[in-house]
This record gives sequence, C-alpha cells and structure tokens, in this order.
Amino acid sequence: MQTNRSFAVQLQILTKRLVLRFLRRPLAELPNIFISAFFLFVYDGALGGVFGGSAQGTPLDFANGNFVNFILPVSIVSASLSGGASGIYLVEDIESGVFKRYQSMPISKWAIILSPMLIGALRVLVQAGLIMVIGKFIGADPAVGTVGFFVVLSIAFLWGMGFAGYSVAAGVRSGSSQGAQAASFLFFPALFLAPTFVPREALRGWLATASAYNPTTYVIEAMRAIMVEGWVMDVLLKGYIAAGLFAFITLSFAVISVGKATEKA
Amino acid sequence: MLAVDVKNIKKTFTSKQDTVEAVKDVSFQVEQGEIFGLLGPNGAGKSTTILMLTTLLSITDGSASILGIDVETQDKEVREKIGVALQDTGIDKILTGRELFFTTCRLWGYSKVDSEKRTKELLELVGLTEAGDRRVKTYSGGMKRRLDLGLSLVHSPEILFLDEPTTGLDPGSRRVLWEEIKRLRDSGVTIILTTQYLEEADELADRIAIIDEGLVVAEGTSDELKASIGGDVITLSFYSDEDLEKAKNILTDAVQSKDELRITVADGASKIPEYINKLISEGIEVSTVSASKPTLDDVFLEVTGNRLEGTEKAAEEKPTTTRKRRGR
Repeated sequence: MQTNRSFAVQLQILTKRLVLRFLRRPLAELPNIFISAFFLFVYDGALGGVFGGSAQGTPLDFANGNFVNFILPVSIVSASLSGGASGIYLVEDIESGVFKRYQSMPISKWAIILSPMLIGALRVLVQAGLIMVIGKFIGADPAVGTVGFFVVLSIAFLWGMGFAGYSVAAGVRSGSSQGAQAASFLFFPALFLAPTFVPREALRGWLATASAYNPTTYVIEAMRAIMVEGWVMDVLLKGYIAAGLFAFITLSFAVISVGKATEKA
Repeated sequence: MLAVDVKNIKKTFTSKQDTVEAVKDVSFQVEQGEIFGLLGPNGAGKSTTILMLTTLLSITDGSASILGIDVETQDKEVREKIGVALQDTGIDKILTGRELFFTTCRLWGYSKVDSEKRTKELLELVGLTEAGDRRVKTYSGGMKRRLDLGLSLVHSPEILFLDEPTTGLDPGSRRVLWEEIKRLRDSGVTIILTTQYLEEADELADRIAIIDEGLVVAEGTSDELKASIGGDVITLSFYSDEDLEKAKNILTDAVQSKDELRITVADGASKIPEYINKLISEGIEVSTVSASKPTLDDVFLEVTGNRLEGTEKAAEEKPTTTRKRRGR
C-alpha cells in the first residue's frame, strides 16, 4: 500500500475529523450565536432611537441614520469569540487521551495543533456570517456596498484567530477545558473597554484611556468605518494591524505553550 | 534480532516539591513473536516503562531498543514499528468506529481506497463490523477496548504495546480480548502487555517480568516462576487472631499473609495432617486448610513480601480443603 504522510494531508484529515465533531454538536454553536444576535437586537432596540435612526441629524447621530450599521460590529466581534473553541477542542483531545494517541503516531505535532485552530476559524466565519445575515435582515447596509460584509468578515476572521490562539494557550497551560472556557472571560473587558456603544470621542476619563490601549477598539472602529463611513483607509489599516498583531501574538503564545506541553517529560 | 531490548532503564520525575523515581532499574529482553507480560500492582512502574518504550516519555538513564532501533534517539523510526494501546489513550467518541479506522488509516498515510479496504479488514478482525456505523459513545467497554486494539493495528506493527488492555472489563469481554491477543501473537506480532491481573499474565504471557516499586524482581515463564517457589503452598486460617499468633510461633517456616499462614513445601497435600495434628496438640483450632500449586500471587508474595492487591486469584486450588467447626 502506498503511503502519503505529507503535512497537508495530515492537516486536512485532522481538520475533517473536527468538522465532523463540529457538525455533530450543532447545539454547542447556539449559545454564542444567541448572545451575539441578542446584543444586536437589544442594543439596536435600546440605543438605536437615541444614537441613530429616529435621532437622525441630531448631534447624537453617529450612525448616519442607521444604528444597525453602527452596532453590528459589536455583535460580530462577539461572534468571533467562537474562535475560542479551538482551545476547548484541543484540551478535550488532551483530556480524552486522543492527543496522546496522535503523539504515538508519526504525525506532525503542528498538524495536531493547527487543526483545532482551523476549525476555530471556520466557526468564526460561520457565526460572524450568520450575524451579518441577521444584520442585513434588520437593515444593515455597509457604506461601501455589499463588499463591506466581506471586509468586515475578514477582520472578524483575524480577530477570531487571535482568540483561537489565546484559548489554545490558556487551555494547554491550564490543562483543562474549563480553563480554556474560563479564559474566554477576558472577552468581556476587551469588548466593553472599547467604544462599544458610542464613538471613542464620546468616551471620557479612564475609559477613554483604556480604550486607546485596547486592540478591540481598532477592530470595532475599522468595521464601523466600512459599515458607516466608507473606505477610511487609515482606520481600516489600524483595524487590520490590531487584529493581525493580536493573532500573531496569541498564536505565537499558543505555539510556545503547546511546544512545552508536548515535550517529552 | 531481539524485538525489545531494555537495559537498566530508569525514570525520575523531578518537580519543585520532590523527586520521584518511578522506574528504578528495569531490564528485560523480548524475543520476536512472543507475548511478554509486565506484572505488578498499581504504581509499580509498568505504565511508565511502557511510555518510555513507546517514545512518549524520555528515559532518564539506561537504554532501550525496538528491533535494534534506539528508542531515545530514533523515536520516529520506532513509532513506525510499534502499535500502542495505552490505558489513557483516547478514542473520539463522537465519530463512528468506521470513521475512526478510516481517519487513522489516512493518518498513517494510506490512500482513500486502501484506507477503506483496511478499515473493513480491521472492523472484521476486532468483531465490530456490525457496530461499525454506530458512534463510539454507544459502544460497551469491551467494544471500545477492541476498537482501541484495532486502531493500534492499522499500520500492521511488528510490536504491539498493550497497557492493561482488559482493566475494567467483565470476564466475558476479557476472554474475547484474550483470544484476539493470542491470535495476533500467532500471526507473528510481538506483544508486550502490562497487567495487574494474575490470571491474565498466566493465560497470555509466554514470559513474565514481575515489577515492584520500579524494579524487576523476578522474570521467567509462568511455570518457571511458580517452580522457583519449590513446592506446593499450604494455606491455613484460624478462628481467632490469638490462634494465628500462636500458630505462627509453632510453624516457624510459615509466612503470614493477611489473616492466613502459608507454608511452601513439597507434596503439600500429604503434609496437611502433620501440620494439623501439630496445631491441635497445642490447642489451636484451624478454620480452613488447603494445599495448592503455587500461583503467580504466591510468587509475588515470595519475591516482594506483599500480595498483589486488587487481583483475581488463579483458579488453581486443589479440592483438598478441609473445614473444621469449632465444637461449641
């Protein structure tokens, strides 16, 4: 029998296995989608009348009359947290001993690690995509046209991979899926120490300072620029850099953590 | 060429708090085509030894080779030759048995067509053809162990490591697995298995190494080990601890094991009346007495001074048990 053990084949097989797991546990996707959609509906309902929509033309209109465009990035950033499932997938494999089985086989360690990250990316795309569809349904209309949805999705993808790396590192270091899940609570300060409900200029005091150092700020602002204003290249660039840097740092952290965890004792 | 050659391996785990010598000094050789059993209680160092030999743990000191390939420096080459079913290797329970075999075949590098063929063969081999399309989470413990065994055979390894393959299984499932392990041995696969079950070691292993506290304390075939005791084992038990203590002082060649006294002697059955009379003459009442061929547990007791805990006694006792009732 001929054999092909290339990295690409191994990665494809391991990822396919996780896709099967993903498809067979669809209910696991619901809570995060529900929370993200909940944010969209509640914030639009509660704040849309003040900050946009009916308040169009007032000093409080920062959404050019379409508050859904303004608030949709918050829900998408929330949906991109689903990338955090990567760590949970990996730790579940470690806890169940599947990881050890793969270690006893001539499989690339990096294929074992990268496959849950890819599945995390897939989750981000599915969940953020679904939120966009909901957003479109209730009136989201990117200032740059339909292509704006894809630009926003690409930023969400990078941001989600950042969370994937973070959750893998946290999961491997804590050694438990609870640890990986608990680490996702970082998301809440990251989301709310940012111009979540109003533009950054409207923040004040310590929150304005904190938001300036929070990469989520630049991610949300880049998505908002696409949705509300148009091709504001410097804002867009900052968003990509923030998301890309976050992903680079956390993925490096994940690689180091997994490398240490898989060293022979 | 030896299938496995282990020379004075040691494993030390060092943490901030302390240093633990899990394996102090283990050496053994395994010929190709035999089943070699590592017998010992929990914590004896069996699984750590297996983890070192399967390249999953580094060796602190000493050396080991698999089919002449050094375990420590050529781990990738070693993995090509071995199949591994460890106590805590996992199975993805959300997949079906067929999907698991197929995925594992693909990971070993088989093409899709070959993987399908091999999956079919292996499902048949471990008797899971009918259950192949069910998710593994619906499998019984015995079926999961058979699946685990099958997964370790995907690449037709020359040497198979099985770490406590039947722990937790009911007697029926255990027998089924034993038959499969014997069939593999008969097909030329060398098998190294760890067990804490005496009966399992007796039934399966061509040769046995008894491990206790990180050391090999005895090695040989089951018969050789039992013969090393030098006779039959007479077991005496008493109605009271007081009688037990008195008897121990009278029968100076007896060894206490829990609430029994055990005497190793040639032609044990014929010696029973002599011992009973001796005790009766001292006013000691014997509750039960039996003579049996030595078991591996007796060997274990002999070489370690302890019983192998949590094990099943081999059913070798002769029907020579007599019972005396206290005449009250």
